[in-house]
Amino acid sequence: MEHWIAISLLLGFLSLDATAVGQFMLSRPIAVGALVGLLTGHPEVGLLVGALVELIWIGEVPVGSHLPADLLILAGVATALAGELVQGGAPPEAAMTFAIGTAIPLAILSTELEGLLRRLHVRWAHFAQRMAGSGHFGTFDGVNTFVLLGLFLKGLLTAAASLFIAHLVGKLFRLLPDRAVDGLYYAHWLLLALGCSAAIDLMVEKKTSPFLVLSIVTALTAAFFQIPGVWMVSGALLAGFILTLIYAGKGETA
Amino acid sequence: MSPDDKAPLRLTFLDLLQCFLRSFFLQAVWNMERYLNYGFAFVLAPALKRLYPVREDRAQALTRHLEYFNTHPYMASFVLGAVLRMEEEKQTLPRPKQKQKEDEINALKVGMMGPIAAMGDNLFWATVRPYCGLLAITLILSQSFAPGTRAWIIPALFLAVFNVAHLGVRGLGFLQGYRQGDQVVLALRKYGFQAAIRGLKLASILLVGVLIVFVNMGELDREVGLFILKLSFFSALVGLFTFALHRKIAPGQLYYAVVLIGLILAYWPELSTPPVLPLEGVK
Repeated sequence: MEHWIAISLLLGFLSLDATAVGQFMLSRPIAVGALVGLLTGHPEVGLLVGALVELIWIGEVPVGSHLPADLLILAGVATALAGELVQGGAPPEAAMTFAIGTAIPLAILSTELEGLLRRLHVRWAHFAQRMAGSGHFGTFDGVNTFVLLGLFLKGLLTAAASLFIAHLVGKLFRLLPDRAVDGLYYAHWLLLALGCSAAIDLMVEKKTSPFLVLSIVTALTAAFFQIPGVWMVSGALLAGFILTLIYAGKGETA
Repeated sequence: MSPDDKAPLRLTFLDLLQCFLRSFFLQAVWNMERYLNYGFAFVLAPALKRLYPVREDRAQALTRHLEYFNTHPYMASFVLGAVLRMEEEKQTLPRPKQKQKEDEINALKVGMMGPIAAMGDNLFWATVRPYCGLLAITLILSQSFAPGTRAWIIPALFLAVFNVAHLGVRGLGFLQGYRQGDQVVLALRKYGFQAAIRGLKLASILLVGVLIVFVNMGELDREVGLFILKLSFFSALVGLFTFALHRKIAPGQLYYAVVLIGLILAYWPELSTPPVLPLEGVK
Protein backbone atom coordinates (compact mmCIF):
# COMPACT_ATOMS: atom_id res chain seq x y z
CA MET A 1 0.00 0.00 0.00
CA GLU A 2 1.36 3.39 -1.01
CA HIS A 3 1.65 6.08 1.66
CA TRP A 4 1.33 3.38 4.33
CA ILE A 5 3.48 5.22 6.87
CA ALA A 6 2.05 8.64 6.08
CA ILE A 7 -1.56 7.45 6.51
CA SER A 8 -0.66 5.63 9.74
CA LEU A 9 0.97 8.77 11.14
CA LEU A 10 -2.00 10.88 10.09
CA LEU A 11 -4.48 8.47 11.70
CA GLY A 12 -2.27 8.27 14.81
CA PHE A 13 -2.42 12.03 15.25
CA LEU A 14 -6.12 12.26 14.45
CA SER A 15 -6.87 9.47 16.95
CA LEU A 16 -5.92 11.88 19.73
CA ASP A 17 -8.76 14.17 18.65
CA ALA A 18 -11.33 11.40 19.07
CA THR A 19 -11.39 11.56 22.87
CA ALA A 20 -8.17 12.78 24.42
CA VAL A 21 -7.45 16.20 22.95
CA GLY A 22 -9.95 18.89 22.10
CA GLN A 23 -12.50 16.85 20.14
CA PHE A 24 -12.54 19.25 17.20
CA MET A 25 -14.14 16.48 15.11
CA LEU A 26 -11.04 16.11 12.93
CA SER A 27 -11.38 12.41 13.77
CA ARG A 28 -14.90 12.16 12.28
CA PRO A 29 -15.31 10.14 9.06
CA ILE A 30 -16.07 13.23 6.95
CA ALA A 31 -12.76 14.86 7.87
CA VAL A 32 -10.72 11.63 7.98
CA GLY A 33 -12.07 10.42 4.62
CA ALA A 34 -11.26 13.76 2.99
CA LEU A 35 -7.74 13.92 4.47
CA VAL A 36 -6.80 10.32 3.66
CA GLY A 37 -8.35 10.81 0.21
CA LEU A 38 -6.19 13.87 -0.40
CA LEU A 39 -3.10 12.04 0.83
CA THR A 40 -3.64 9.03 -1.42
CA GLY A 41 -4.71 11.06 -4.46
CA HIS A 42 -8.37 9.96 -4.37
CA PRO A 43 -10.14 12.98 -2.84
CA GLU A 44 -13.61 12.09 -4.22
CA VAL A 45 -13.42 8.52 -2.93
CA GLY A 46 -12.40 9.97 0.44
CA LEU A 47 -15.37 12.32 0.52
CA LEU A 48 -17.84 9.61 -0.47
CA VAL A 49 -16.49 6.99 1.96
CA GLY A 50 -16.46 9.62 4.71
CA ALA A 51 -20.03 10.63 3.93
CA LEU A 52 -21.30 7.03 3.87
CA VAL A 53 -19.57 6.04 7.13
CA GLU A 54 -20.66 9.25 8.86
CA LEU A 55 -24.24 8.63 7.72
CA ILE A 56 -24.56 4.93 8.64
CA TRP A 57 -22.99 5.42 12.09
CA ILE A 58 -24.62 8.81 12.74
CA GLY A 59 -26.60 7.41 15.67
CA GLU A 60 -23.55 6.06 17.54
CA VAL A 61 -23.32 8.34 20.54
CA PRO A 62 -20.78 8.02 23.38
CA VAL A 63 -22.81 8.03 26.58
CA GLY A 64 -21.26 7.28 29.97
CA SER A 65 -18.68 4.54 29.60
CA HIS A 66 -20.03 3.26 26.25
CA LEU A 67 -17.35 3.26 23.58
CA PRO A 68 -18.77 3.58 20.05
CA ALA A 69 -17.07 1.89 17.08
CA ASP A 70 -13.76 3.49 16.11
CA LEU A 71 -15.00 5.44 13.11
CA LEU A 72 -11.57 6.98 12.57
CA ILE A 73 -10.04 3.59 11.74
CA LEU A 74 -13.19 2.62 9.85
CA ALA A 75 -13.19 5.68 7.58
CA GLY A 76 -9.41 6.01 7.30
CA VAL A 77 -8.73 2.38 6.40
CA ALA A 78 -11.79 2.13 4.14
CA THR A 79 -10.75 5.25 2.21
CA ALA A 80 -7.19 3.99 1.74
CA LEU A 81 -8.38 0.56 0.57
CA ALA A 82 -11.14 1.95 -1.67
CA GLY A 83 -8.63 4.28 -3.31
CA GLU A 84 -6.31 1.36 -3.95
CA LEU A 85 -9.11 -0.74 -5.47
CA VAL A 86 -10.35 2.14 -7.66
CA GLN A 87 -6.80 2.62 -8.89
CA GLY A 88 -6.79 -1.06 -9.80
CA GLY A 89 -9.84 -0.51 -12.00
CA ALA A 90 -12.69 -1.48 -9.64
CA PRO A 91 -16.00 0.42 -9.92
CA PRO A 92 -15.94 3.06 -7.14
CA GLU A 93 -19.27 1.98 -5.58
CA ALA A 94 -18.25 -1.68 -5.33
CA ALA A 95 -14.78 -0.71 -4.09
CA MET A 96 -16.23 1.45 -1.34
CA THR A 97 -18.72 -1.21 -0.21
CA PHE A 98 -15.94 -3.81 -0.08
CA ALA A 99 -13.53 -1.46 1.70
CA ILE A 100 -15.97 -0.42 4.43
CA GLY A 101 -16.97 -4.05 4.96
CA THR A 102 -13.29 -4.92 5.39
CA ALA A 103 -12.68 -2.07 7.82
CA ILE A 104 -15.62 -2.77 10.19
CA PRO A 105 -14.00 -5.68 12.11
CA LEU A 106 -10.74 -3.71 12.30
CA ALA A 107 -12.62 -0.76 13.80
CA ILE A 108 -14.24 -3.07 16.37
CA LEU A 109 -10.81 -4.44 17.32
CA SER A 110 -9.52 -0.91 17.71
CA THR A 111 -12.43 -0.08 20.02
CA GLU A 112 -11.61 -3.13 22.16
CA LEU A 113 -8.01 -1.97 22.37
CA GLU A 114 -9.18 1.47 23.43
CA GLY A 115 -11.16 -0.14 26.27
CA LEU A 116 -8.06 -2.04 27.42
CA LEU A 117 -6.02 1.15 27.36
CA ARG A 118 -8.58 2.93 29.49
CA ARG A 119 -8.34 0.18 32.06
CA LEU A 120 -4.60 0.71 32.03
CA HIS A 121 -5.21 4.43 32.59
CA VAL A 122 -6.61 3.55 36.03
CA ARG A 123 -3.02 2.81 37.05
CA TRP A 124 -1.82 6.10 35.63
CA ALA A 125 -4.56 7.91 37.58
CA HIS A 126 -3.47 6.16 40.79
CA PHE A 127 0.15 7.02 40.11
CA ALA A 128 -0.82 10.65 39.49
CA GLN A 129 -2.72 10.70 42.78
CA ARG A 130 0.36 9.49 44.65
CA MET A 131 2.45 12.15 42.95
CA ALA A 132 -0.08 14.86 43.79
CA GLY A 133 -0.28 13.74 47.42
CA SER A 134 3.50 13.75 47.82
CA GLY A 135 3.92 17.14 46.19
CA HIS A 136 5.62 16.00 42.97
CA PHE A 137 3.60 18.37 40.82
CA GLY A 138 5.87 18.20 37.79
CA THR A 139 5.48 14.43 37.59
CA PHE A 140 1.74 14.83 38.14
CA ASP A 141 1.54 17.06 35.05
CA GLY A 142 3.86 14.72 33.14
CA VAL A 143 1.34 11.87 33.36
CA ASN A 144 -0.76 13.73 30.81
CA THR A 145 2.09 13.77 28.29
CA PHE A 146 2.90 10.09 28.84
CA VAL A 147 -0.69 9.02 28.39
CA LEU A 148 -1.02 11.11 25.23
CA LEU A 149 2.13 9.52 23.87
CA GLY A 150 0.67 6.09 24.62
CA LEU A 151 -2.58 6.99 22.90
CA PHE A 152 -0.70 8.27 19.87
CA LEU A 153 1.31 5.07 19.64
CA LYS A 154 -1.86 3.01 20.01
CA GLY A 155 -3.48 5.01 17.19
CA LEU A 156 -0.40 4.76 15.00
CA LEU A 157 0.13 1.02 15.48
CA THR A 158 -3.56 0.17 15.16
CA ALA A 159 -3.74 2.17 11.95
CA ALA A 160 -0.57 0.61 10.55
CA ALA A 161 -1.73 -2.93 11.36
CA SER A 162 -5.27 -2.28 10.11
CA LEU A 163 -4.01 -0.77 6.84
CA PHE A 164 -1.77 -3.77 6.30
CA ILE A 165 -4.56 -6.28 6.94
CA ALA A 166 -6.94 -4.29 4.73
CA HIS A 167 -4.34 -4.29 1.97
CA LEU A 168 -4.10 -8.08 2.15
CA VAL A 169 -7.89 -8.53 2.21
CA GLY A 170 -8.10 -6.10 -0.71
CA LYS A 171 -6.28 -8.63 -2.88
CA LEU A 172 -9.34 -10.89 -2.61
CA PHE A 173 -11.37 -8.30 -4.51
CA ARG A 174 -9.79 -9.36 -7.80
CA LEU A 175 -10.93 -12.92 -7.21
CA LEU A 176 -14.59 -11.87 -7.00
CA PRO A 177 -16.75 -12.91 -9.96
CA ASP A 178 -18.35 -10.08 -11.98
CA ARG A 179 -21.76 -10.84 -10.54
CA ALA A 180 -20.49 -10.38 -6.99
CA VAL A 181 -18.94 -7.04 -7.96
CA ASP A 182 -22.35 -6.07 -9.38
CA GLY A 183 -23.84 -7.08 -6.02
CA LEU A 184 -21.44 -4.79 -4.16
CA TYR A 185 -22.42 -2.07 -6.62
CA TYR A 186 -26.14 -2.51 -5.80
CA ALA A 187 -25.30 -2.74 -2.12
CA HIS A 188 -23.82 0.75 -2.21
CA TRP A 189 -27.22 2.18 -3.11
CA LEU A 190 -28.87 0.05 -0.42
CA LEU A 191 -26.30 1.30 2.10
CA LEU A 192 -27.41 4.83 1.40
CA ALA A 193 -30.90 3.66 2.44
CA LEU A 194 -29.37 2.22 5.63
CA GLY A 195 -27.69 5.57 6.25
CA CYS A 196 -30.92 7.51 5.78
CA SER A 197 -32.55 5.08 8.25
CA ALA A 198 -29.82 5.77 10.80
CA ALA A 199 -30.47 9.49 10.53
CA ILE A 200 -34.23 8.97 10.79
CA ASP A 201 -33.82 6.66 13.78
CA LEU A 202 -31.77 9.31 15.54
CA MET A 203 -33.78 12.40 14.62
CA VAL A 204 -37.40 11.64 13.81
CA GLU A 205 -40.10 11.13 16.43
CA LYS A 206 -43.75 10.45 15.87
CA LYS A 207 -44.79 14.06 16.15
CA THR A 208 -42.00 15.36 13.91
CA SER A 209 -42.50 12.78 11.15
CA PRO A 210 -44.75 15.13 9.09
CA PHE A 211 -41.70 17.35 8.60
CA LEU A 212 -39.89 14.45 6.94
CA VAL A 213 -42.77 13.82 4.54
CA LEU A 214 -43.05 17.53 3.83
CA SER A 215 -39.35 17.74 3.11
CA ILE A 216 -39.39 14.74 0.75
CA VAL A 217 -42.41 16.11 -1.16
CA THR A 218 -40.82 19.57 -1.46
CA ALA A 219 -37.48 18.12 -2.59
CA LEU A 220 -39.29 15.90 -5.13
CA THR A 221 -41.13 18.90 -6.55
CA ALA A 222 -37.87 20.83 -6.74
CA ALA A 223 -36.21 17.86 -8.46
CA PHE A 224 -38.93 17.71 -11.14
CA PHE A 225 -38.35 21.39 -11.85
CA GLN A 226 -34.62 20.61 -12.08
CA ILE A 227 -33.60 22.99 -9.35
CA PRO A 228 -29.88 22.49 -8.65
CA GLY A 229 -28.90 20.44 -5.59
CA VAL A 230 -27.09 23.26 -3.83
CA TRP A 231 -30.26 25.37 -4.00
CA MET A 232 -32.28 22.53 -2.49
CA VAL A 233 -29.81 22.15 0.39
CA SER A 234 -29.84 25.93 0.86
CA GLY A 235 -33.65 25.88 0.92
CA ALA A 236 -33.67 23.11 3.52
CA LEU A 237 -31.10 25.04 5.58
CA LEU A 238 -33.14 28.23 5.42
CA ALA A 239 -36.34 26.41 6.40
CA GLY A 240 -34.45 24.68 9.19
CA PHE A 241 -33.06 27.99 10.38
CA ILE A 242 -36.53 29.54 10.49
CA LEU A 243 -37.87 26.50 12.39
CA THR A 244 -34.97 26.75 14.85
CA LEU A 245 -35.76 30.43 15.42
CA ILE A 246 -39.43 29.64 16.00
CA TYR A 247 -38.55 26.93 18.50
CA ALA A 248 -35.83 29.01 20.17
CA GLY A 249 -38.45 31.72 20.74
CA LYS A 250 -40.79 29.18 22.28
CA GLY A 251 -38.01 27.85 24.50
CA GLU A 252 -37.35 31.23 26.06
CA THR A 253 -40.94 31.92 26.97
CA ALA A 254 -41.51 28.40 28.30
CA MET B 1 0.67 37.72 61.51
CA SER B 2 -1.65 34.76 61.06
CA PRO B 3 -2.42 33.39 57.56
CA ASP B 4 -5.94 34.80 57.83
CA ASP B 5 -4.66 38.37 57.89
CA LYS B 6 -2.99 38.15 54.46
CA ALA B 7 -4.63 39.68 51.40
CA PRO B 8 -6.51 36.81 49.66
CA LEU B 9 -4.78 35.37 46.63
CA ARG B 10 -6.48 36.01 43.29
CA LEU B 11 -6.20 34.26 39.94
CA THR B 12 -4.60 36.25 37.15
CA PHE B 13 -5.79 36.35 33.54
CA LEU B 14 -2.87 34.12 32.58
CA ASP B 15 -3.85 31.50 35.18
CA LEU B 16 -7.36 31.42 33.77
CA LEU B 17 -6.08 31.24 30.20
CA GLN B 18 -3.79 28.35 31.14
CA CYS B 19 -6.68 26.51 32.77
CA PHE B 20 -8.89 27.13 29.73
CA LEU B 21 -6.25 25.80 27.35
CA ARG B 22 -5.72 22.78 29.58
CA SER B 23 -9.46 22.09 29.49
CA PHE B 24 -8.93 20.74 25.96
CA PHE B 25 -7.01 17.87 27.61
CA LEU B 26 -9.77 17.09 30.10
CA GLN B 27 -10.35 13.60 28.70
CA ALA B 28 -6.74 12.54 28.08
CA VAL B 29 -6.48 10.19 31.07
CA TRP B 30 -10.09 8.97 30.71
CA ASN B 31 -10.07 5.85 32.88
CA MET B 32 -12.52 3.13 33.72
CA GLU B 33 -12.44 3.82 37.47
CA ARG B 34 -12.92 7.53 38.12
CA TYR B 35 -13.28 8.72 34.52
CA LEU B 36 -12.19 12.36 34.21
CA ASN B 37 -10.74 12.70 37.70
CA TYR B 38 -7.16 13.26 36.57
CA GLY B 39 -8.31 15.55 33.76
CA PHE B 40 -10.22 17.76 36.15
CA ALA B 41 -7.27 18.15 38.53
CA PHE B 42 -4.89 18.64 35.58
CA VAL B 43 -7.00 21.53 34.28
CA LEU B 44 -7.13 23.22 37.69
CA ALA B 45 -3.41 22.68 38.47
CA PRO B 46 -2.13 26.15 37.37
CA ALA B 47 -4.86 27.87 39.41
CA LEU B 48 -4.16 25.73 42.47
CA LYS B 49 -0.47 26.62 42.13
CA ARG B 50 -1.41 30.29 42.43
CA LEU B 51 -3.94 29.85 45.22
CA TYR B 52 -1.94 27.47 47.41
CA PRO B 53 1.65 28.66 47.71
CA VAL B 54 2.34 26.19 50.53
CA ARG B 55 3.33 22.81 49.10
CA GLU B 56 1.23 20.71 51.50
CA ASP B 57 -1.90 22.82 50.92
CA ARG B 58 -1.46 22.52 47.17
CA ALA B 59 -1.00 18.76 47.40
CA GLN B 60 -4.13 18.49 49.50
CA ALA B 61 -6.14 20.67 47.10
CA LEU B 62 -4.99 18.73 44.04
CA THR B 63 -5.84 15.41 45.72
CA ARG B 64 -9.27 16.78 46.63
CA HIS B 65 -9.99 17.28 42.92
CA LEU B 66 -9.01 13.71 42.03
CA GLU B 67 -12.37 12.32 43.10
CA TYR B 68 -14.72 10.64 40.60
CA PHE B 69 -15.79 13.05 37.89
CA ASN B 70 -17.49 12.35 34.59
CA THR B 71 -19.39 14.65 32.29
CA HIS B 72 -19.55 15.99 28.75
CA PRO B 73 -16.15 17.45 27.79
CA TYR B 74 -17.48 20.72 26.38
CA MET B 75 -20.11 21.34 29.03
CA ALA B 76 -17.52 20.63 31.73
CA SER B 77 -16.31 24.21 31.21
CA PHE B 78 -19.31 25.44 33.20
CA VAL B 79 -18.17 23.35 36.20
CA LEU B 80 -14.49 24.21 35.70
CA GLY B 81 -15.20 27.95 35.63
CA ALA B 82 -17.47 27.75 38.66
CA VAL B 83 -14.97 25.67 40.66
CA LEU B 84 -12.19 28.16 39.86
CA ARG B 85 -14.33 30.99 41.19
CA MET B 86 -15.24 29.02 44.31
CA GLU B 87 -11.62 28.06 44.98
CA GLU B 88 -10.80 31.75 44.74
CA GLU B 89 -13.65 32.67 47.07
CA LYS B 90 -12.41 30.08 49.51
CA GLN B 91 -9.25 32.14 49.97
CA THR B 92 -11.26 35.09 51.29
CA LEU B 93 -12.84 33.01 54.05
CA PRO B 94 -11.41 32.50 57.52
CA ARG B 95 -9.80 29.07 58.01
CA PRO B 96 -12.71 27.45 59.90
CA LYS B 97 -15.13 28.22 57.07
CA GLN B 98 -12.84 26.96 54.34
CA LYS B 99 -13.72 23.33 55.01
CA GLN B 100 -17.37 24.14 54.43
CA LYS B 101 -16.47 25.78 51.10
CA GLU B 102 -14.57 22.64 50.08
CA ASP B 103 -17.72 20.61 50.72
CA GLU B 104 -19.70 23.08 48.62
CA ILE B 105 -17.21 22.74 45.77
CA ASN B 106 -17.53 18.95 45.85
CA ALA B 107 -21.29 19.17 46.03
CA LEU B 108 -21.34 21.45 42.97
CA LYS B 109 -19.17 19.03 40.99
CA VAL B 110 -21.28 16.03 41.94
CA GLY B 111 -24.55 17.87 41.48
CA MET B 112 -23.78 19.38 38.10
CA MET B 113 -21.93 16.62 36.28
CA GLY B 114 -24.97 14.40 35.65
CA PRO B 115 -27.41 16.98 34.30
CA ILE B 116 -24.89 18.79 32.11
CA ALA B 117 -23.59 15.46 30.77
CA ALA B 118 -27.11 14.53 29.70
CA MET B 119 -27.62 17.92 28.11
CA GLY B 120 -24.21 17.93 26.42
CA ASP B 121 -24.64 14.43 25.00
CA ASN B 122 -28.03 15.33 23.62
CA LEU B 123 -26.96 18.75 22.34
CA PHE B 124 -23.62 17.89 20.76
CA TRP B 125 -23.44 14.15 20.10
CA ALA B 126 -27.10 13.62 19.21
CA THR B 127 -27.96 16.97 17.61
CA VAL B 128 -25.25 19.45 16.55
CA ARG B 129 -22.79 16.87 15.22
CA PRO B 130 -25.38 14.88 13.25
CA TYR B 131 -26.76 18.17 11.93
CA CYS B 132 -23.34 19.31 10.70
CA GLY B 133 -22.70 15.78 9.39
CA LEU B 134 -26.00 15.69 7.49
CA LEU B 135 -25.28 19.11 6.01
CA ALA B 136 -21.92 17.88 4.69
CA ILE B 137 -23.30 14.50 3.54
CA THR B 138 -26.21 16.12 1.69
CA LEU B 139 -23.83 18.53 -0.05
CA ILE B 140 -21.45 15.70 -0.98
CA LEU B 141 -24.26 13.57 -2.44
CA SER B 142 -26.10 16.50 -4.02
CA GLN B 143 -24.48 15.83 -7.40
CA SER B 144 -23.55 19.49 -7.40
CA PHE B 145 -19.87 19.14 -6.63
CA ALA B 146 -17.75 18.60 -9.69
CA PRO B 147 -15.04 16.02 -8.93
CA GLY B 148 -11.69 17.60 -8.24
CA THR B 149 -12.92 21.12 -7.74
CA ARG B 150 -12.89 22.56 -4.29
CA ALA B 151 -14.61 19.53 -2.79
CA TRP B 152 -12.51 20.03 0.36
CA ILE B 153 -14.76 22.99 1.14
CA ILE B 154 -17.45 20.57 2.35
CA PRO B 155 -15.44 18.91 5.16
CA ALA B 156 -14.05 22.35 6.02
CA LEU B 157 -17.62 23.64 6.31
CA PHE B 158 -18.51 20.68 8.55
CA LEU B 159 -15.59 21.44 10.86
CA ALA B 160 -16.21 25.19 10.86
CA VAL B 161 -19.94 25.00 11.69
CA PHE B 162 -19.42 22.39 14.40
CA ASN B 163 -16.50 24.15 16.03
CA VAL B 164 -18.25 27.52 16.16
CA ALA B 165 -20.83 25.82 18.40
CA HIS B 166 -18.19 23.77 20.23
CA LEU B 167 -15.79 26.61 21.02
CA GLY B 168 -18.69 28.96 21.69
CA VAL B 169 -20.07 26.69 24.40
CA ARG B 170 -16.62 26.01 25.88
CA GLY B 171 -15.85 29.73 26.06
CA LEU B 172 -19.30 30.67 27.31
CA GLY B 173 -19.23 27.93 29.95
CA PHE B 174 -15.80 28.84 31.25
CA LEU B 175 -16.53 32.58 31.40
CA GLN B 176 -20.02 32.29 32.86
CA GLY B 177 -18.90 29.63 35.31
CA TYR B 178 -16.08 31.86 36.52
CA ARG B 179 -18.31 34.93 36.66
CA GLN B 180 -21.21 33.34 38.47
CA GLY B 181 -19.58 30.68 40.59
CA ASP B 182 -22.12 28.32 42.14
CA GLN B 183 -24.97 30.41 40.68
CA VAL B 184 -24.13 29.13 37.19
CA VAL B 185 -26.52 26.20 37.75
CA LEU B 186 -29.43 28.62 37.66
CA ALA B 187 -28.07 30.42 34.60
CA LEU B 188 -27.83 27.22 32.51
CA ARG B 189 -31.50 27.34 31.56
CA LYS B 190 -31.17 30.79 30.05
CA TYR B 191 -28.99 29.67 27.16
CA GLY B 192 -31.81 27.89 25.36
CA PHE B 193 -29.95 24.61 24.80
CA GLN B 194 -33.19 22.64 24.84
CA ALA B 195 -34.72 24.97 22.25
CA ALA B 196 -31.62 24.63 20.08
CA ILE B 197 -31.92 20.83 20.28
CA ARG B 198 -35.56 20.89 19.16
CA GLY B 199 -34.88 23.37 16.36
CA LEU B 200 -31.77 21.64 15.01
CA LYS B 201 -33.45 18.23 15.10
CA LEU B 202 -36.21 19.60 12.87
CA ALA B 203 -33.64 21.19 10.59
CA SER B 204 -31.86 17.81 10.36
CA ILE B 205 -35.10 16.08 9.43
CA LEU B 206 -35.50 18.50 6.51
CA LEU B 207 -31.98 17.62 5.35
CA VAL B 208 -32.75 13.88 5.56
CA GLY B 209 -35.78 14.43 3.30
CA VAL B 210 -33.65 16.20 0.71
CA LEU B 211 -31.00 13.47 1.02
CA ILE B 212 -33.51 10.69 0.30
CA VAL B 213 -34.47 12.42 -2.95
CA PHE B 214 -30.84 13.18 -3.87
CA VAL B 215 -29.56 9.64 -3.75
CA ASN B 216 -32.22 8.54 -6.23
CA MET B 217 -32.04 11.49 -8.59
CA GLY B 218 -29.80 9.72 -11.10
CA GLU B 219 -32.91 7.91 -12.40
CA LEU B 220 -34.83 11.13 -12.98
CA ASP B 221 -32.79 11.98 -16.06
CA ARG B 222 -33.54 8.59 -17.58
CA GLU B 223 -37.18 7.91 -16.91
CA VAL B 224 -39.69 9.42 -14.49
CA GLY B 225 -41.56 6.13 -13.95
CA LEU B 226 -38.36 4.31 -13.04
CA PHE B 227 -37.44 7.15 -10.71
CA ILE B 228 -40.75 6.84 -8.83
CA LEU B 229 -40.38 3.06 -8.67
CA LYS B 230 -36.83 3.23 -7.33
CA LEU B 231 -37.76 5.94 -4.84
CA SER B 232 -40.67 3.84 -3.54
CA PHE B 233 -38.43 0.78 -3.19
CA PHE B 234 -35.81 2.93 -1.48
CA SER B 235 -38.37 4.40 0.93
CA ALA B 236 -39.65 0.92 1.82
CA LEU B 237 -36.07 -0.17 2.59
CA VAL B 238 -35.51 2.95 4.68
CA GLY B 239 -38.62 2.04 6.68
CA LEU B 240 -37.41 -1.53 7.14
CA PHE B 241 -33.91 -0.51 8.21
CA THR B 242 -35.25 2.16 10.56
CA PHE B 243 -37.33 -0.54 12.24
CA ALA B 244 -34.25 -2.78 12.53
CA LEU B 245 -32.13 0.03 14.00
CA HIS B 246 -34.96 0.88 16.36
CA ARG B 247 -34.81 -2.73 17.59
CA LYS B 248 -31.17 -2.02 18.54
CA ILE B 249 -29.51 -4.02 15.76
CA ALA B 250 -26.05 -2.49 15.37
CA PRO B 251 -25.31 -0.58 12.13
CA GLY B 252 -22.23 -2.77 11.59
CA GLN B 253 -24.37 -5.92 11.55
CA LEU B 254 -26.94 -4.34 9.25
CA TYR B 255 -24.09 -3.37 6.92
CA TYR B 256 -23.35 -7.01 6.16
CA ALA B 257 -27.05 -7.82 5.86
CA VAL B 258 -27.35 -5.08 3.25
CA VAL B 259 -24.32 -6.34 1.32
CA LEU B 260 -25.94 -9.76 1.32
CA ILE B 261 -29.16 -8.28 -0.12
CA GLY B 262 -27.05 -6.60 -2.81
CA LEU B 263 -25.43 -9.92 -3.73
CA ILE B 264 -28.81 -11.69 -3.87
CA LEU B 265 -30.09 -8.94 -6.20
CA ALA B 266 -27.04 -9.39 -8.42
CA TYR B 267 -27.59 -13.13 -8.78
CA TRP B 268 -31.30 -12.60 -9.49
CA PRO B 269 -31.39 -13.18 -13.26
CA GLU B 270 -34.45 -11.02 -14.06
CA LEU B 271 -32.95 -7.90 -12.58
CA SER B 272 -31.52 -5.78 -15.35
CA THR B 273 -30.36 -2.19 -15.09
CA PRO B 274 -28.27 -1.19 -12.12
CA PRO B 275 -29.23 2.08 -10.41
CA VAL B 276 -27.33 5.17 -11.49
CA LEU B 277 -25.36 6.66 -8.65
CA PRO B 278 -23.95 10.14 -8.45
CA LEU B 279 -20.43 8.91 -8.87
CA GLU B 280 -19.76 9.46 -12.54
CA GLY B 281 -16.15 10.35 -13.17
CA VAL B 282 -14.89 9.33 -9.74
CA LYS B 283 -11.27 8.31 -9.85
